[in-house]
Amino acid sequence: MLFSEMNAKDTLKTTKQKMAKYQAEFLEQINAIEVDAHWFRRVFHTFAASFLFYYLLPDEEWINVIKIIVPIIIVFCMVVIEYRRLRGSLDHQRFFGLRSYEKKQPASYLYFGIAVLLLFLLFPQQIAIPCILCASFTDPIIGETRYHLGKKKAYAIGFIMSLLFFLITWYRADWWILILVSLVGAAGALIGETKKLRFVDDDFMIQMLPALLLLLLWQGFMAFGVNILPPTIILPI
Amino acid sequence: MVTIQRLLLRLEFWFAPLLLLVPIIVSVVFLLEWYTKGFINGSSEYDSELLFSLLLIVGNLVFDIPFVRSIRTLKKKQ
Repeated sequence: MLFSEMNAKDTLKTTKQKMAKYQAEFLEQINAIEVDAHWFRRVFHTFAASFLFYYLLPDEEWINVIKIIVPIIIVFCMVVIEYRRLRGSLDHQRFFGLRSYEKKQPASYLYFGIAVLLLFLLFPQQIAIPCILCASFTDPIIGETRYHLGKKKAYAIGFIMSLLFFLITWYRADWWILILVSLVGAAGALIGETKKLRFVDDDFMIQMLPALLLLLLWQGFMAFGVNILPPTIILPI
Repeated sequence: MVTIQRLLLRLEFWFAPLLLLVPIIVSVVFLLEWYTKGFINGSSEYDSELLFSLLLIVGNLVFDIPFVRSIRTLKKKQ
């Protein structure tokens, strides 16, 4: 009796030790994945700044057609992939870097793609370029500094960064237009990033909100006969 | 869990060259544009190309370095 009791205790002890070891290994693996996914997402954002190459493409008739068709096809493919993932035809685990809340809703890369597509097709490059730069750099910078410096400082840095992107893109405009546009654009980008909406991702809002605000501003001034838009900043090859 | 980790490692190795090289190539194209059309001809119209080139290269490198480090760390763990 005593022998079997001892045996049971030993078994229980061994099991507990095994479970603790397994738990430690499991947590280590989760941490490894989290760290990796984190940088992966950041680099995906900064990579998107390469889309500015779009504006370097030559201004020829057949290339202009390609400039419209190719982005639409790419975004359409993304929509199909996301649809299949959400329906369960594609395994969620195959999509590296997705956040847990994206399991049951379209992933942020789709929102990012749609926003870039809309900017390319519907907005002049003077408005589209700083908005793409905000999504490419301001978003990851805010995300990174938020962990180290806290929300307020991260948002302040994000605002200054966005301001810089609008200043760079509109530097050929008159000084008062430059200041007005930079403040409106940077505020729009920051609000788009910070205000979390249930059905629309911040990667979409950080681009579309400043773009829409600047479009309204531009058209508003146009109604009074003032064109605030500076000359195009990236000239085709 | 290990399967997922292997999968993500594989995915990252597929994407990593694209994510790292494309911005650098685009940055070089911008720089060449500025140099050949702006700097040589003495035209300031292409100054923005230089700005975007620098922005692309610096902005990407800031995040590329920790990204490459994280891949290497994960590879060592594997």
